[in-house]
Amino acid sequence: MTAISVAGLVKTFGATRALDGLDLEVSTGEVHGFLGPNGSGKSTTIRVLLGLLRPDAGQVRLLDGDPWRDAVALHRRLAYVPGDVTLWPNISGGESIDLLGRLQGGLDPRRRAELLDRFDLDPRKKARTYSKGNRQKVALVAALASDAELLVLDEPTSGLDPLMEAVFQGCIREVRAEGRTVLLSSHILAEAEALCDRVSIIRHGRTVQSGSLDELRHLTRTAITAETVRPAAGLESLAGVHDLRHEDGRVRFDVDTDALDGALRHLTGLGVVSLTSAPPTLEELFLRHYGDELADDGTAAREPVRS
Amino acid sequence: MSTQLSEAPARPTAPDRPGRSSTTTGTAALFRFALRRDRVRLTVWIAAGTAMVALQSVSSQSFYDSPGALAAYRASVGSNAATIALAGPPVGLDTVAGAVAFEISATVMLIAALMAMFTVTRHTRADEEAGRTELLRSARVGRHAPLLAAVLLAALACAALAVAVGLGATATGLPATGSFVLGASFGAAGQVFTGITAVAVQVTGHTRSVYGLVGGLFAVFFVLRAVGDIEGNWVVWTSPIGWAQAAHPFSDDAVLPLLLCLVVAVVLVLGGFALLDRRDLGAGLTQPRPGRASATPWLRSPLGLAVRLQRGALLAWVLGLALLGVVYGALADSVETLIAGNEEALAVFGDPDVDDLVSAYLSTTFSITALLAAAYAVSSVLRARTEESDQRAEPVLATATSRSAWLGSHVAVALVGSALAMTASGVTTGVVRVLQTGEAAAFGRMVGAALAYVPAVWVVAGIAVALFGLLPRLAAALSWAAVGLFLVITMFAESFDWPGWVGDLSPVSWVPLMPLEPWTTGPVLVLTALAGALLAASFAGFRRRDLATG
Repeated sequence: MTAISVAGLVKTFGATRALDGLDLEVSTGEVHGFLGPNGSGKSTTIRVLLGLLRPDAGQVRLLDGDPWRDAVALHRRLAYVPGDVTLWPNISGGESIDLLGRLQGGLDPRRRAELLDRFDLDPRKKARTYSKGNRQKVALVAALASDAELLVLDEPTSGLDPLMEAVFQGCIREVRAEGRTVLLSSHILAEAEALCDRVSIIRHGRTVQSGSLDELRHLTRTAITAETVRPAAGLESLAGVHDLRHEDGRVRFDVDTDALDGALRHLTGLGVVSLTSAPPTLEELFLRHYGDELADDGTAAREPVRS
Repeated sequence: MSTQLSEAPARPTAPDRPGRSSTTTGTAALFRFALRRDRVRLTVWIAAGTAMVALQSVSSQSFYDSPGALAAYRASVGSNAATIALAGPPVGLDTVAGAVAFEISATVMLIAALMAMFTVTRHTRADEEAGRTELLRSARVGRHAPLLAAVLLAALACAALAVAVGLGATATGLPATGSFVLGASFGAAGQVFTGITAVAVQVTGHTRSVYGLVGGLFAVFFVLRAVGDIEGNWVVWTSPIGWAQAAHPFSDDAVLPLLLCLVVAVVLVLGGFALLDRRDLGAGLTQPRPGRASATPWLRSPLGLAVRLQRGALLAWVLGLALLGVVYGALADSVETLIAGNEEALAVFGDPDVDDLVSAYLSTTFSITALLAAAYAVSSVLRARTEESDQRAEPVLATATSRSAWLGSHVAVALVGSALAMTASGVTTGVVRVLQTGEAAAFGRMVGAALAYVPAVWVVAGIAVALFGLLPRLAAALSWAAVGLFLVITMFAESFDWPGWVGDLSPVSWVPLMPLEPWTTGPVLVLTALAGALLAASFAGFRRRDLATG
């Protein structure tokens, strides 16, 4: 069962190619992380999925419909939290929640009250007096109090404090337990690691990596710290071992997943006193995919800038 | 400056540090920055004002090329209450230069006032509302610096307008002294509105309310001077626009009323600074009250939202045009007095039918009211564009709300609202006329004359709607340009004897000039159909285009 299916999506704005053949598959009932740095095309993709932008090329299916043609019918079944929530300055937060909920197809008043309480949001304040985080809470309460089968969340927590981040994660777990689908765009990797079943990483409007977190971890390295009886020599000659350093009688290195077994055998031969291994984080996945971009930026800076 | 209680131990005075700060620190840098941001805008405002004066001068000189033509002109405008209401005191009409000043001064004063209002607001309340002032004030920028820089920029722009108009008018062959007095009268009016805006941006916390407040005051002052000019009495001195026009360029060349403008402008600016010291950054003088915790049942549809967003402006415009209807109706009695007191007019027209003159006056006032209602309708339609470009349309269109329903809601408010405003002006003029004449049928005639303009107003609104759907980026600029064009056509096409097709460019001039002319169905049907076609084109375009993204 597929909730969202995107293949070869292209969207251009004048000379800018915002989406350049993007692919995205989201199964029903999963929390799907949609990751990428600023300007990589996450929000543009989401706006195409919502029928706000018309794709230039590619196939887009959302809840078995065409997001452009069937926008209104599909929107009854989804709820959306924009990345940059702007509200009507003269309308209170509570009124905005009710309005958006009613336009979406109704919200559960008990859940609304409960969410206001959990997010610690004063619904009587006019939107102009809300901080960025509070505006985001308004959109989150409106979306979470609905019974939409698909939640489309565009960097929903970028203005929330850590306490509210925890509340948000609790809410998303409940949504998943109810069998609903979530598309969660983010650049906060800890959040994606904590919540997502699968992730897609995009860059420059293309999908560069997609899969479950387990699958993706195979593509990266495990960090090992070990203390051995005999001096840890010979590791540097093993294939797949990187960034080897000796500190305070310990040895630290990163090792490719397929070379892990050989590295551990080598260590046990030296007499292991203590060993810690850290699984690869999404942070490292991210840095590996965007590391070359950082290097590109370094060379680009030396070239004359045209604009 | 500091006061101390006698019990308090004497505090050591802070040593003078290098680069002492005051509340105006950073004004020079902010001024240069504001000038940099506004150099194109201000050039356009000033060029527009100067060009209007120059064009008026050239065309008047070719049009009133004989003493006879000038005398006929003097006779007709000197007795026409509607023209005096729109233009100013009928003074100095014995020279072509005086006629130029009479014809153009009200329009350029509006330009000067708008330029001052937008300039001051843009660099104070608008920046503050967007959070940019906070960023600036966190640097070495004093509390008073942003307002001072904005006021200085607006004052400089008004002075530049005065000089440019003086040079432009002289270049077209008008007497130099009068030309510069004419320019100075525009500059002086602009300076007063610089001061008014400097106060208004302290009072209210929102850019939109500042424009409403200052625009409303301009309207009130304009009506006060219109009443004073028609009645020829002291009421004209209750209005700064009246002071500026009391300079009487090319006849009296009086500078004293202009000095009054400058003094009042300075007092207002000082008042603005005093109010600034009494409020917090980002706030107005009043604290926002808490709103409702949950929405009323009304707020459940795109139409409910559009009404909620626009109800304040709608109410203000309906009330404003209703009041204008009272004023226009009340002044109808003066038409008779004016013609009786004008010997030249009596000589030219013989013994005119007073009823016809009153009817002609009323039909002109209704066409002006129709243009104001069209301006409201355009501003209301453009609200949809603001909602879109400020990203507030996006969450609504991501719900089960179709694009047609969303746009249709804003358009419905614009169409119904402008029709309501026209009705209100017809009703109030009608009531006043019934009280004046004791003739009950006058009520129906006035309401009918006002309602006849509704389809024309809708065509102007339709132009804005069509632009929103098809050329959203240009919608605001082109819609306002259209309103300006129609205003110029209504005001000048007849008095300059422009070819018929120029007049026909404005939908307002298609409408029968009731109550002077009889009702005709044809043009009204055509206008209604045209409005419908413009809406259909817009909705088709909006359904096909991308939503604006930030």
